[in-house]
Amino acid sequence: MTQSGHLTRLCVLAWALSAGAGVLAAQSSDTLFATGVRAYKNLEFDLAAWLLRRDVTQLTAASAPAAERAKGLVYLGAAELYRGRRDSAVAVFRRLVMLDPRYRPDRLVFPPEVTSLFDGVRLQIKTVVVEVPRDTTITPGPGAFDIWLIASSFQTVEVTLRYADGAPFRSLYSGPVGDSLRVQWDGLDAAGAPPPVNRVVLRVASRAQTGELAGIVQLPLDLRLFRPDTLPWPPPPADGQLLPERATSGAAKRSLVGGLLLSGAVAALPAFVGGTDTPSGPRIAVAGTIGFAGLLGYVLHRPGRPLQGNVRANQTLRDAWQRQVASTTTENARRRREVHVVVRAGEATAIQPRGP
Amino acid sequence: MRRALVLLVAALTAGELGAQALRPTGSASLVTARVRSAVPAGIDQFTGSAFLGQGALAMGRVELSFSYLQGTLNPDGGSAGGRDLVEGTVLLGVRALDWLTLEGGPHARAYTLAGSTQRWLFWELRARAGTAFVGSAAQGYVELWRALAADANVPEPFDHAQGGEVGMILRLARAPLSARVGYRIDHAVLGGGTRLETVDGVVIGVGLAWR
Repeated sequence: MTQSGHLTRLCVLAWALSAGAGVLAAQSSDTLFATGVRAYKNLEFDLAAWLLRRDVTQLTAASAPAAERAKGLVYLGAAELYRGRRDSAVAVFRRLVMLDPRYRPDRLVFPPEVTSLFDGVRLQIKTVVVEVPRDTTITPGPGAFDIWLIASSFQTVEVTLRYADGAPFRSLYSGPVGDSLRVQWDGLDAAGAPPPVNRVVLRVASRAQTGELAGIVQLPLDLRLFRPDTLPWPPPPADGQLLPERATSGAAKRSLVGGLLLSGAVAALPAFVGGTDTPSGPRIAVAGTIGFAGLLGYVLHRPGRPLQGNVRANQTLRDAWQRQVASTTTENARRRREVHVVVRAGEATAIQPRGP
Repeated sequence: MRRALVLLVAALTAGELGAQALRPTGSASLVTARVRSAVPAGIDQFTGSAFLGQGALAMGRVELSFSYLQGTLNPDGGSAGGRDLVEGTVLLGVRALDWLTLEGGPHARAYTLAGSTQRWLFWELRARAGTAFVGSAAQGYVELWRALAADANVPEPFDHAQGGEVGMILRLARAPLSARVGYRIDHAVLGGGTRLETVDGVVIGVGLAWR
């Protein structure tokens, strides 16, 4: 096929597409991709490049999965290479490596010229893909937040957590990475305390072998601390629960007054019932006995006397309260240690250093 | 009179007897008794000691109590011979308040003289109040009674009779035993005051109560 023949067909196709723009807009990306691949296989590389570029543009605009975009990009790079546009092919492959550092062209589909160019680009590009769980909960200290780094090629990386303003929060790793690397964060800051902020940024800086900064990938991490509620202190025994520990004057007065009244009743009983001619000796003996009992009761129940039974009962109550306080203290200390950090990862963004 | 007494007790005790456990109590006491009988011809006075046994069965607020006293009295002077004293009561009562019990029933007394026996039968109404006054260990009590009717084989017609007892009961903390000391007196007037019969004495005893 001659060069003029290609151009003629391309012009015809362009006219047809522009005439039916509405139809083309409705055309699915799969159709563009399939048509582009068919053109590539028919060695119609200009048409293939044009179709595949439109396909990739549509997929990127639609935020299609990286795997779908990668398929379009690898065919586009190959088409550009065979069109004799090596720089464009390198640029497409660079974009592909940045999109998915793990991607490798199928060597059964693409010839060595394509795969070797792709490998050359991949080895030059120093970038990583960061994979973290979207939403996870860890226990600071013993727990771990797993960060997977997938590298495009051997490189040196610095993995750090930073405050939102860019100030360092915690350094996680600094060293080489070949294919992939797992880095863990224990949920604590540099001082070993739970994070005092609600948001940090995971930053992975890639460096070339020369030490030159090759790229930065940043990922925001929203943090939420969960501290279990502590138990309230058990209330001390209420006054109503405690028995009086000192005798009041009531019992003593009751003894004394009761004894006096009964003694008086004994002495006055004959006069009350009318038998006045009775000997007073036996009556006085009984009255004296009862009076003495009342006096003894007054001494035994004198005001302020410690009531040992009540003291012991109250001490038992207070001891039980102290045990509850100690138990609550232990439980609260345990709960304070049981802090959980909920980590929610945002979208990763890549920053490429400006060229000279 | 007797019918009114029975009706009063029945009214107070209605509804109290169902589903209640019997609570028996008993006591034995030594009584130093003195009997003084004053008639226009002279005064006879006897003293001695007697045994007093008392018991009660309580069910709820209702109580049936009984007592029996027997002893020998000796003359304090004069020519009168010694005489035996026998006394007994059967009283049905109700605990109107925690500290107040009302009782009623017959009270019989007999003096065995050298030639004959004087028999007295009183129908009494009693009120007994008691409460602890030294902690819960010592309980004081006051009992007063009055004869509503009487029958005696003496020539003088019955006028009135009344009496009382005041004392103290000491209870042991964990045992059903109790000790009692008290003073009691009865005084009967017959023939418009021509005959006065007085019986008094000190009661010292121990009791047993099942709770």
